[in-house]
Amino acid sequence: MNGLDAIGIRIETGAPGEDSGYALAILREIESLLGELITSGRAGRIDLRSLPLLPGDEARLAAALGEGEVDADIQAMGTTRVRETAVPGVWWVTHANADGQTVAELIEIALVPEILKTHPEDARAGLNTLQERIADLIRGGDTNG
Amino acid sequence: MADDRTLGEALAQRGISRRSFLKFCATMTSLLALPPGMAEVMAETLARTRRQSVIWLSFQECTGCTESLTRSHSPTLEGLMFEAISLDYHHTLQAAAGTAAEAAREQAMKDNYGKYIVIVDGSIPLNAGGAYSTIAGRTNLDMLKETAAGAAAIVSVGTCAAFGGLPHANPNPTGAVAVSDIIKDKPIVNVSGCPPIPVVITGVVAYFLTLGTLPELDSLGRPKVFFGDSIHDRCYRRPFYDQGKFAKTFDDEGARNGWCLYELGCKGPVTHNACATTKWNGGVSFPIESGHPCLGCSEPNFWDAGSFYQSLPTPTTSVKGAAVAAVVAGAAVGAAVGAASRRRKSKAAKARTPVTVDDLK
Amino acid sequence: MNEIELLHWARGTGLKWALVVFLLGVVLRFVEMWLLGRKPDLAVARASGAVGGWRTVFTRSLPTPGLIKTSALVFIGGYVFHIGLLIVLVLFVPHIELFRSLLGFGWPGLPSAVIALVAIVSMAALVALLVHRVMHPVRRFLSGFQDYFVWLVTFLPFLTGYLASHSPVVSYTSTLAAHILSVELLLVVFPFTKLIHALTFAVSRWYNGAIAGRKGVAV
Repeated sequence: MNGLDAIGIRIETGAPGEDSGYALAILREIESLLGELITSGRAGRIDLRSLPLLPGDEARLAAALGEGEVDADIQAMGTTRVRETAVPGVWWVTHANADGQTVAELIEIALVPEILKTHPEDARAGLNTLQERIADLIRGGDTNG
Repeated sequence: MADDRTLGEALAQRGISRRSFLKFCATMTSLLALPPGMAEVMAETLARTRRQSVIWLSFQECTGCTESLTRSHSPTLEGLMFEAISLDYHHTLQAAAGTAAEAAREQAMKDNYGKYIVIVDGSIPLNAGGAYSTIAGRTNLDMLKETAAGAAAIVSVGTCAAFGGLPHANPNPTGAVAVSDIIKDKPIVNVSGCPPIPVVITGVVAYFLTLGTLPELDSLGRPKVFFGDSIHDRCYRRPFYDQGKFAKTFDDEGARNGWCLYELGCKGPVTHNACATTKWNGGVSFPIESGHPCLGCSEPNFWDAGSFYQSLPTPTTSVKGAAVAAVVAGAAVGAAVGAASRRRKSKAAKARTPVTVDDLK
Repeated sequence: MNEIELLHWARGTGLKWALVVFLLGVVLRFVEMWLLGRKPDLAVARASGAVGGWRTVFTRSLPTPGLIKTSALVFIGGYVFHIGLLIVLVLFVPHIELFRSLLGFGWPGLPSAVIALVAIVSMAALVALLVHRVMHPVRRFLSGFQDYFVWLVTFLPFLTGYLASHSPVVSYTSTLAAHILSVELLLVVFPFTKLIHALTFAVSRWYNGAIAGRKGVAV
């Protein structure tokens, strides 16, 4: 899988300048989902992989949404990149596997994307972990004086 | 091989984080076109359930479906599907062999009777009493009937299991049939394709595990969420089709400009699959995007639908011989009918008696 | 049999047998017609029959005096339909592909949107002609089963062909199969109904023109 990058391929896309109109359609959907988030608190998601986007559509969408203040990387079986767009509440989430291949590309409309949050059960397990680390620190402090 | 751990426990013990699993569920959820919040529901549900027992039966197949599933992803993220299930029997992947393998299958069936999922790839031959394909001395037909009896659901993976596939193609010497031709009393999902897109297989299993039912199926038993649209209706080259811009050969200007492959034999308009949206190799590409026309591999009898490189409007068989024979036969019959008519005409002319004045008196 | 298997049958066995019946029937009728011959004209020819024959093949395309006044709808509707049929049949790219596979060569086609428009206009002409046939007392009196059957057999390929390209509800596989099957029906009944005029019209015009031409009358 990794060796494919060494093969020189030039991808011809025909008419890169053509605007299919998809970017605008997606922006309208984001607009309505954001409205729903504001009124009812319900989060929304758009899966960019399920749409037959032409080359250039994603770039047009990203340019329209812009970049915000938050840029987070999650290392979980590959990198997941979470970027806030210039529109607060609209996040761009890119899931990649350990080989660096993108497995999902989502626009999430939420106060904060789910994957950034800590699960309550993990926090409970985390308390145990913390207590162990504190115990280690105390033990280590005793021997080192 | 009974495993009493929940999936959550199994993942935690393997050091796989909740976020990794949530990432996997988010991918599955969007693939299955489920509502956005379902990713978290799926993650929660799967984490709390005991790992689902799955028995994989490989019959008259090329192993391409298993290869598609196991080779297609990095062994980490999509491989989490294998964490969510307990694959109790699989010829290629299991460590056990011989009688130990069969014993594992029988044990899994006994322990999970009525609750295990059966995945089948490959067709089932019926000729010669089913002797064309046997496992452990038993015909595929027998093994399928026995294993299906206690199954909660059956997933026919690949066009061979779903519709008969390659062995079923003319003249079908082994008498190959699909799973649904044999099993009539269990819910069957057909995940067709030669091979199917791997993430479609895992999506169907994930759906069943989370919601306890099979997704909505079309008239051929395929999940509508993946097989509801034709390739043509979701193809990114559709604008070229609509404008009449077709590639005429494989390396001409049109082909290099990415024009429609209709004239090169693309079966996209009559083929239902997720290739144009979900794509292959983790969303990298699909045949048309790589410049090759769709074969129609997720439809029944696609091997008998004429050449892959003859376009849809063309006949699937050669008609030249029949046409010549028809012309010759038509000429012969026409000559015979014409000759008979002429004979009748001359006979009538000879038999005609002229009218005389006396006849008129 | 599901829809894709029906399509495969229509593209394979169905097409083969339809072509066989079509070719056999057409050749049979032409040979038979030719063998039946004509009564020899023993009068001295005043002018060339052959020249008269060829002339009439073309002059019969124009309306006779007074025809427009008595049968404007039939004349104009008839031409609209026939020209539309030729355009759709011969200049639609998927049809050209079919001919290319049967004949070995093809030709350029028109944009699909234009063909769709021509198909709609042709269908409208067909419907207008049918309504006229039913409403006009003389034509209704003269019409029998074959007239209506042949109309239907001609209309169906247009309808199913248009639906195949423009059907958001019924699947393309089903409508394409229906289209191919409707054409196969047309092929099968063609040699044994008045549809054969598509091939015999020139022959009939020629003979009529030749008979009159021999007598020195240019028709």
